[in-house]
Amino acid sequence: MSLQQIKTLAMSQSKRLYVTTMMQVVGRALQAISEQDEEIQKISSAFPEGFVFSMQVLPNGPGFALRKTADNSLEFLDDIPTEKPDLTIYIKHLEHAFRILSFQESTAQAFANDRMIVDGDISFAIRMTRALNRLEAYILPKLVAELAIKEYPHIPLPEKVLHGARIYLRVATNFISQQVKFA
Amino acid sequence: MSKGFYEFFCPVKVIAGEAALEHIPFELSALGASRPLLITDKGVRGAGLTDYVTTACDESGVAMVAVFDDVPPDSSTEVVKEIAELYRNSGADSIIAVGGGSVIDTSKGVNVLVSEGGDDIAKYSGAGVLKRPLKPFFVVPTTAGTGSEVTSVAIIADKSKGVKLPFGSPFLLPNAAIIDPRMTLTLPPHITAATAMDALTHATEAFTCLAKNPLSDAYALSAIRKISDNLLNVMDNPKDVEGRLELAQASTMAGIAFSNSMVGLVHSLGHALGAICHLPHGLCMSLFLPYVLEYNLSKDKSREALSELLLPLAGAEVYARTPEGQRAEKAIETIRDLRDELYERCKLPRTLEETGKVGRDQLARIADMALDDGSIMFNPAEADFDEVLKVLNLAWG
Ligand SMILES: [Fe+2]
Repeated sequence: MSLQQIKTLAMSQSKRLYVTTMMQVVGRALQAISEQDEEIQKISSAFPEGFVFSMQVLPNGPGFALRKTADNSLEFLDDIPTEKPDLTIYIKHLEHAFRILSFQESTAQAFANDRMIVDGDISFAIRMTRALNRLEAYILPKLVAELAIKEYPHIPLPEKVLHGARIYLRVATNFISQQVKFA
Repeated sequence: MSKGFYEFFCPVKVIAGEAALEHIPFELSALGASRPLLITDKGVRGAGLTDYVTTACDESGVAMVAVFDDVPPDSSTEVVKEIAELYRNSGADSIIAVGGGSVIDTSKGVNVLVSEGGDDIAKYSGAGVLKRPLKPFFVVPTTAGTGSEVTSVAIIADKSKGVKLPFGSPFLLPNAAIIDPRMTLTLPPHITAATAMDALTHATEAFTCLAKNPLSDAYALSAIRKISDNLLNVMDNPKDVEGRLELAQASTMAGIAFSNSMVGLVHSLGHALGAICHLPHGLCMSLFLPYVLEYNLSKDKSREALSELLLPLAGAEVYARTPEGQRAEKAIETIRDLRDELYERCKLPRTLEETGKVGRDQLARIADMALDDGSIMFNPAEADFDEVLKVLNLAWG
């Protein structure tokens, strides 16, 4: 195996690891803020109770799933249910997922770039995109958030929820610079 | 700014110009078909437009095995089912749709059923459900606006459940779109104006929204130029064959542009207004276009793209005369002027108030519905409820 091949392999393995972890982080963070953020609750109020949303990388994951509960919050599911979720946003390739979850490409831009496809009701997908934008604004420092979302809302940050996510952001930044080095 | 990534897809053969309809028999035989079913609506047939199509086919020894002329303005699963039965009972082997958006969407649905079998169209709803080509299918548009002849989507209402079923697949696209000036020659003035404004909006949003790309841009720019060069001429000289053809082509080109780069907030608002107040789609586009562009500009979005649009909208002289920093504003002003001219010629309303069919108390509901519309995702500027409501209030009058 050449050095280049080893580098490439290492890159794609760590990319997979990053995307897998970040999917979990995003899923759990969505649950956390859905329990206290009014905006997110307004967004999820349109989903019927028991509604399952998932986001998955084609062809075989990784991904995460959430279920809307009776008290209008979003519950993180440990596994993606075997039964077809009501709404799935599929990301076409691991690389696209990496760009989205390392905030190099906004969710709206990713849709515009055909990186993702929606299986389910489009208006629900739009609501989930808004929820994801809201989450990004929570997790990210303003500078990075402006890259990831079209506009940066002015919202106070509930610190305890977001600590873990911020750590992974640092991992992301690391990956981005590594990618540049490898390129 | 160069586009980092894009996709562009349009496999529809475009057959356009004088005596274009006379190409249908040859195109049918090229696909091994000889027994077409014609799908249309009462208005189109009443205006004698289907006669041109049947005559063109007759003269080449191709007879329609049946004609269905009762497609309602909002296509439904029931109608699709009924026409699919007619297709089967008459032994048809291909479909010719002659009409506007509803006829075309209905025909796409019929083609799914007669190709895939069964009578439950809902089964094929969603994106990418179809996996193989359908029966030979030709579209002859009779309004120069929707661009449905080159879009791979269809919306069909399931009235029993009160829902609109979306269909999306490249296999929904017709094999060919036949653009013949005879089809739009008798279009009444207010429909000519409204459908042209729909096409203008398709091109403008394609050019200014998030999924814009170099190939769509080329179609959008040419479409806008054709509309601004010809619309008022055609309003003054409805029998201008060349002008009619230019508008019809512009509509198809704008359709190719937006089906590859999507539309934005004008359509989100227009879909909501159309659904709540039952106004025609083209009119809804005309009502919102300048206000949404102004909103985007106020959010510091799409200035560059809008400035570029001044050239096809107003011509080289105006473009050169306008300082660079004011071109975007001038482009919007040109669209406003066009709306004033249309109002003078056919009373096409310019504000929600002028329609006489919208209540100010309905604006909040319209805003709510617009926020859930798929097209809002691609608008360059984010918009929340208050901002959408503000645009609606500006568009009020
Ligand atoms: Fe439209």
